[in-house]
Amino acid sequence: MAPRVVVVDYGMGNLTSVRHALEYLGAKVEPTDDPRRLGGARLAILPGVGSFRAAMHNLHERRFVDALRDFVGDPSRRLLGICLGMQLLCASSTEDAPTEGLGLLDVPVTRFPEDPSGRLKVPHVGFAAVRPGLGSALLPEAHGPADFYFVHSFRVDPDGCPGVVGRARHGRDFVAMVEQGNVAGTQFHPEKSQSSGLRLLARWLTDAA
Amino acid sequence: MKRIIFTLLYGDGAFHLSRNFRLQRIGDADWLERNYDFSRVGFAIDELVVLDVSRGVRSPEDFAATLIRTTRSCFAPVAAGGGVRSVDDARRLLRSGADKVVVNTATAEDPGLVADLARAFGAQCVVASVDAVRTEAGPVAVVDRGGREVGPLRAHLERIGSLPVGELLLTAVDRDGTGQGLDLGLLNEVPASVRCPVILSGGIGYSSHIHEGLTDPRVDAVATANLLNFVGDGLERARSETRDHGSHVAHFDADEARRLAGAAAATAGA
Repeated sequence: MAPRVVVVDYGMGNLTSVRHALEYLGAKVEPTDDPRRLGGARLAILPGVGSFRAAMHNLHERRFVDALRDFVGDPSRRLLGICLGMQLLCASSTEDAPTEGLGLLDVPVTRFPEDPSGRLKVPHVGFAAVRPGLGSALLPEAHGPADFYFVHSFRVDPDGCPGVVGRARHGRDFVAMVEQGNVAGTQFHPEKSQSSGLRLLARWLTDAA
Repeated sequence: MKRIIFTLLYGDGAFHLSRNFRLQRIGDADWLERNYDFSRVGFAIDELVVLDVSRGVRSPEDFAATLIRTTRSCFAPVAAGGGVRSVDDARRLLRSGADKVVVNTATAEDPGLVADLARAFGAQCVVASVDAVRTEAGPVAVVDRGGREVGPLRAHLERIGSLPVGELLLTAVDRDGTGQGLDLGLLNEVPASVRCPVILSGGIGYSSHIHEGLTDPRVDAVATANLLNFVGDGLERARSETRDHGSHVAHFDADEARRLAGAAAATAGA
């Protein structure tokens, strides 16, 4: 039977490519802007492109904040945040102005530091190698580094972040993927990362089956 | 990492091959899949560019529908453009599977639009496309699919350098579709003010052209629209040759991507 995935639609960025990737893998995808739909779901994805502050505003306005917190309270359910979606899982971000996040991961999101030489470009855009650690089933260490697609100006510092399962480098290391219990987040876009991303999403879907 | 990009030219209901910007109609999306096994090509690229090159009246709805369809089984970043004249035009493409918007004529004639796009979606979302033609007086920039000259290439690129764009897609019209190799000499016209990544296009016929291009430190990515020369596993082989020649490109496994079709449903049902 096809795994069913609710994709949270809160008006930030397009859900098309996430949807296409999940459907390609055989999942049944339900995009929704109704938080009640999370109630009957076991798998949910929080996608997102854009500003953290605007995104949190929309999540509050559409009453997704408590719904997502309730959702992950049940350990048999699994939530995956992608790109901005991963950042929203965190405690806060300094984007635009300090803003509180969903707080499902107790770490702050901050901007890449300025590089006085100008060589380090922000936003960080393109494919980059992600080095697995901690032996996650989603990003197995045995497979070695894999290349994933990133577009972001803000990131989570791996120092003091529990559950870092993948690191990438842009000047310094940053958190490419984090996993704490049933909550996972990828700073990269698995739906835009060819076989590397499809493999990860397939594992996330079947792990949860 | 360096990138290998594939470009699809769509217009008036069909995909096209192009030679020196003259178009030859080849077929629709089904035809592309049947004859070129396009999904396989799509699993071996760093990025897909889809351009609306319609000569008659453009149908933005038709192009958006084609974009959705073409990108349904492409799991790489997508840039789309052709006929983008407003922020709404760009938004339509971004809602139809594109991650970035390609602008060409606007860079010469409506720089305000480029600024508006960068404000709305971020400069990393805007790709400036510049088409270059060599003349006796030196290379010039042309717009409207080669229809109109807008001045010396260098002067036009200086203008690009002052615009908020994330990338420059530089195409040699003289080499387009010829398979004679990239025109690396055009890079001499790129001023220091252009600090964004440069994609060089026009003339790729063989995988050797791809790695020659990527070996040049001024080149961040190369793009080809040459369907005929890279049917099947042509681009996969080009990727591994590029790596053998010392350029760093992402590693993808096209066979694995194919095997994963329906994998989650199959496992969950077992």
